[in-house]
Amino acid sequence: MILDSKVPSGPLAEKWDRHRFDSKLVNPANRRKHTVIIVGTGLAGASAASSLGELGYQVLSFCIQDSPRRAHSIAAQGGINAAKNYQNDGDSVYRLFYDTIKGGDYRAREANVYRLAQLSVNIIDQCVAQGVPFAREYGGLLDNRSFGGAQVSRTFYARGQTGQQLLLGAYQSMMRQVERGTVKAFANREMLDIVVIDGRARGIVCRNLLTGEIERYAADAVCLATGGYGTAYYLSTNAVGSNVTAAWRAHKRGAFFANPCFTQIHPTCIPVSGDHQSKLTLMSESLRNDGRVWVPKNPGDKRHPNDIPDADRDYYLERRYPSFGNLVPRDVASRNAKVVCDEGRGVGDSGLAVFLDFRDSINRLGEQAIRSKYGNLFDMYQKITDENPYREPMRIYPAIHYTMGGLWVDYNLMSTIPGLHVLGEANFSDHGANRLGASALMQGLADGYFVIPYTLAHYIAGTPLATVTTEHDAFGEAEAGVRGRIDKLLGIRGGRTPRELHRELGRVLWDYVGMSRNDAGLSHALERIPQLRDEFWQNVSVPGDANYLNKNLEYAGRVADYLEFAELLALDARHRTESCGGHFREESQTPDGEALRDDEHFTYAAAWEYTGDGKPAALHKEHLTFEYVKPTQRSYK
Amino acid sequence: MSAGKTITVHLKVWRQPGPQAPGRFEQYTAQDISTDMSFLEMLDVVNERLIARGEEPIAFDSDCREGICGTCGFMINGLAHGPVRATTVCQLHMRSFSDGETLVLEPWRAKGFPLVRDLVVDRGAFDRIIQAGGYVSMNVGGAPDGNAIPIPRPIAEAAFESAQCIGCGACVAACKNASAALFTSAKITQLAILPQGDVERMSRVLHMIERHDAEGFGSCSNEGECEAVCPKEISLTNIAKMNREFMRASLKPKA
Amino acid sequence: MSSSSVGTKVLIAFTGLALFLFLIAHLAGNLLLLSGPEAFNAYSHKLISNPLIYLAEAGLAAVFLLHIYKTVRNFGRNSAARPTRYAVKKPAGHTSRKSLSSTTMIVSGTTILVFLILHLKTFKFGAYYDAAEPGVRDLYRLTLEVFHKPGYVIWYVVAMILVGMHLRHGITSALQSLGAIPAGRTRAVLTAGAIAAALIAGGFALIPIWVYLFTQ
Ligand SMILES: Cc1cc2nc3c(=O)[nH]c(=O)nc-3n(C[C@H](O)[C@H](O)[C@H](O)COP(=O)(O)OP(=O)(O)OC[C@H]3O[C@@H](n4cnc5c(N)ncnc54)[C@H](O)[C@@H]3O)c2cc1C
Ligand code: HEM
Ligand code: HEM
Ligand code: SF4
Ligand code: F3S
Ligand code: FES
Repeated sequence: MILDSKVPSGPLAEKWDRHRFDSKLVNPANRRKHTVIIVGTGLAGASAASSLGELGYQVLSFCIQDSPRRAHSIAAQGGINAAKNYQNDGDSVYRLFYDTIKGGDYRAREANVYRLAQLSVNIIDQCVAQGVPFAREYGGLLDNRSFGGAQVSRTFYARGQTGQQLLLGAYQSMMRQVERGTVKAFANREMLDIVVIDGRARGIVCRNLLTGEIERYAADAVCLATGGYGTAYYLSTNAVGSNVTAAWRAHKRGAFFANPCFTQIHPTCIPVSGDHQSKLTLMSESLRNDGRVWVPKNPGDKRHPNDIPDADRDYYLERRYPSFGNLVPRDVASRNAKVVCDEGRGVGDSGLAVFLDFRDSINRLGEQAIRSKYGNLFDMYQKITDENPYREPMRIYPAIHYTMGGLWVDYNLMSTIPGLHVLGEANFSDHGANRLGASALMQGLADGYFVIPYTLAHYIAGTPLATVTTEHDAFGEAEAGVRGRIDKLLGIRGGRTPRELHRELGRVLWDYVGMSRNDAGLSHALERIPQLRDEFWQNVSVPGDANYLNKNLEYAGRVADYLEFAELLALDARHRTESCGGHFREESQTPDGEALRDDEHFTYAAAWEYTGDGKPAALHKEHLTFEYVKPTQRSYK
Repeated sequence: MSAGKTITVHLKVWRQPGPQAPGRFEQYTAQDISTDMSFLEMLDVVNERLIARGEEPIAFDSDCREGICGTCGFMINGLAHGPVRATTVCQLHMRSFSDGETLVLEPWRAKGFPLVRDLVVDRGAFDRIIQAGGYVSMNVGGAPDGNAIPIPRPIAEAAFESAQCIGCGACVAACKNASAALFTSAKITQLAILPQGDVERMSRVLHMIERHDAEGFGSCSNEGECEAVCPKEISLTNIAKMNREFMRASLKPKA
Repeated sequence: MSSSSVGTKVLIAFTGLALFLFLIAHLAGNLLLLSGPEAFNAYSHKLISNPLIYLAEAGLAAVFLLHIYKTVRNFGRNSAARPTRYAVKKPAGHTSRKSLSSTTMIVSGTTILVFLILHLKTFKFGAYYDAAEPGVRDLYRLTLEVFHKPGYVIWYVVAMILVGMHLRHGITSALQSLGAIPAGRTRAVLTAGAIAAALIAGGFALIPIWVYLFTQ
């Protein structure tokens, strides 16, 4: 199958405008005759529901939380990028486009990224008009900061709670449509299958998590905005309910899964404190602006950090990257932390942490200045670790944070199942092999507010859609499958908990498909994962029943999907023998240990097709062309 | 550096199989609990042991586990979100408790929050309150430039303070009247003080309060328990502001 | 509108504050007792004989009735908002204003109601003594007679403690309900409210005690 990205012709800057003009429209009076399902209420899903509701479509919105407002997007801290150039520091749509392509290590589609940069500008206007309380300067205008080592200040923020404020804005817009009757919100619903009729996505099957009922919903089109799969690794900065279930079930119905091995590891998270740990907490990237990263020079130096003199400290980022120092990109900082810990120089009880030290900036700027910049982060750190970062260095370690991979979509955000659109982190995204800070929020909102209203209309207007009801056989078949799986989970009554098995899977992924990957490790992972899966299906314990709130049952289902998905993740990682972005293959590095791309063989998005249980996934390639930004080797020396 | 210490705590947990079924307290002992664990991780450990034995785990809600999504929450020894100020249960750590302590866990109790199971309640009423007017009625596409309306920084900051509410419901749980005044007023205040929300401020306050009442929440007796337990420290001045907005809207002749 | 939770509370606050103002005036008049029969009787005569008094009394009665009606209904609604009680419930501390007073408003209020009925029976509709001046009622004598009975003194002092408690939470609660506490002044207003409540209650309680101790 040839993957058609449907990128419109014409010059880069005009593609989207032309495409919008060429797209078919749905007559306002006809819109309410069309039902659209949107699964997920994060930034992508909530913004899509509100904008489609405003246009008059009948929208059915689903989420697993008890309220749409609790989607994982709520946790985003740092900010959202937009090429407003309010600071007059040389930003432009083109520069944001360029930075995103380069940051993504040349593995993203140029046309999509350009459109994203264009739309970024409208997002800020939209959110301000909704009453999102962005940070402002004394003159009353919007404030910006520079984020993730960007050369311009283009990040808009609302203290450390940007995701929360943006999501509440989108949620409120969506609730307005609920009141108007155009959107019906179904909280506490987990989508467990996509229903494909005559080759098109026409509905979903969900479980009502409160009552256990299996429900069917039919529609003219389905949008998935179900977020990323970072929790495959068990420990990640994602919410514990995040899952790959929706995407995976769609994959099994024919949607290709692209670049699953492109996962982002964030360098500054609070380290693991023990086996009990259920998730990791991110410490904002901005801390690296004033904190210095170091480990003891000598392995086994167990002195208190404050007692280790400078002579015995190794400020390894400053040493290796004199020009970028502590501000190297996320993937570089993460990998280096791993290297020093592997050398036995990690700190803390586990030896899996490095110091982030504010001593020097406190001496230089005063404690007050540091407090006003990072007070809330320091407090959060102290709350979790019971250590005072004003007095002793923070301990940090990398953690899984974001997943660039996802369901493959064309320029219209449509997957390989016609009618199934994928938005936000769930799609394989505009971020290539590595996402820049503050760009995920931007992408989610661009997809939902500004892209899908056009491309979905085009699909609906241009497609003959026969009436389908939930009585259709395909619904019956999907429901039977869902019920069968639940019964199977309940029937095992084994001795191991889903969490134990998830933790084991996470460890395999982290060790072999984590920050640094090699062929032997990946092959080992590919052996271990099916074993774990067998163990799961023979010995998992899911007490209770399916006809009421059973969180362990929900969780078991998600772990089961992760156990299938993880294999694809490792397979993709093994097949991509180059290093790029968040994907570091030890076999492919420069002489001084930096990531080395192999443009000749890997300038493509790897889209995997499901071919049946137990059969290897089939690889399809979408070759990427770079007409505007010529690939170069990244260097931060 | 924090030394890894372990403690044992005794739990009395409200177990109720469903909304209609009768509930009762069950006793559990959580042994070898690291003081670095969060409260929910301690419950995870208890649940792991139950599940491994084939018994039904304690149902409780959580998602982000970093104090921002508002999903978690229950009463610990009669205090919403437990004893530490400005902290959700997911951010509460076991070092706040002592070895051998007995902890009573109960769900939020309010007519507006029907019980689902064990420690889980249905807070859909909060969505319906927002639905009644907690937004600015503007469609995608029509927004002026973000800097078209300058907003004085103190106003933007004040709006942010109110906007921080995570919708956890602790305010309702702690209030003797099970009033959702703090939650409702936080949204009303945020939108009333921003120029974007000004246009609809009259109808918004009336509609949201009407919905608040219809959901079965009580009125505010100004006790301030809500403010004291609120993980985001949403201030009582929001309730005062809501009441002023209400009076203004009520006195204004219907347009 | 006035039936909504906030409308209800606004009405309770307005009527409560009106009653508070009445109490200030009533206390000021009553304190004239301390300066002897002439002053007190003259004052009360002036009040009673003023034709506007009927209007004022009707207004006062209306305020009372409205306050009582609203508070009792509100209490019912608020109790219904939590059908299942907590097995364990602790005050949150920190900035909370919860106090014995705030949790017993219905008790103190009901006591005030009972007090009021008895009070009117004792005084307004109590024994009519003629004062020296013709047409003037000797309320001074009545008051002295009443408060020479230790039972009355004790009951009045107890009742005034409850009035004080009602006001301790009530005054600032009303200001808060009306959104009338200036930003950043909360602590000061709370303290002032408590002092005002104590002064009112103490002032009223002083009268029976003084009468009992110093006029026999
Ligand atoms: C700690 C943290 C900080 C971050 N900070 C930033 C930042 O500063 N800037 C930035 O740009 N990005 C940031 N990110 C990334 C960003 O938050 C996410 O990529 C983005 O919010 C994803 O949004 P989404 O709408 O695609 O999905 P999500 O917000 O993850 O929403 C997923 C939705 O799908 C629903 N769902 C999932 N599965 C199912 C199912 N089976 N059935 C029904 N519903 C389902 C969920 O209920 C939820 O509503 C951060 C991420 C983390 C973890
Ligand atoms: C020790 C304290 C008090 C004393 C000595 C006192 C004395 C009196 C007297 C002498 C009267 C009769 C006036 C008349 O008939 O015109 C009166 C009336 C009244 N008092 Fe008090 N009083 C006291 C406390 C209170 C309190 C606490 C309240 C309120 C709760 C109250 C409410 C009233 C009312 C409503 C009337 C009727 C007024 C009217 O009809 O005009 N009194 N009081
Ligand atoms: C002189 C008599 C009285 C005065 C000065 C008075 C004053 C007040 C004030 C100022 C308030 C606070 C209003 C608010 O919270 O906004 C209040 C509340 C209240 N009053 Fe009274 N009151 C009096 C009599 C009564 C009576 C007779 C009752 C009868 C039952 C009563 C019951 C209540 C109750 C229950 C509340 C609490 C309302 C709530 O919970 O919000 N009061 N009162
Ligand atoms: S006001 Fe505070 S306690 Fe109430 S829902 Fe919001 S965050 Fe929770
Ligand atoms: S605790 Fe309840 S009484 Fe009012 S101030 Fe808070 S809502
Ligand atoms: S789980 Fe999100 S706030 Fe506690």
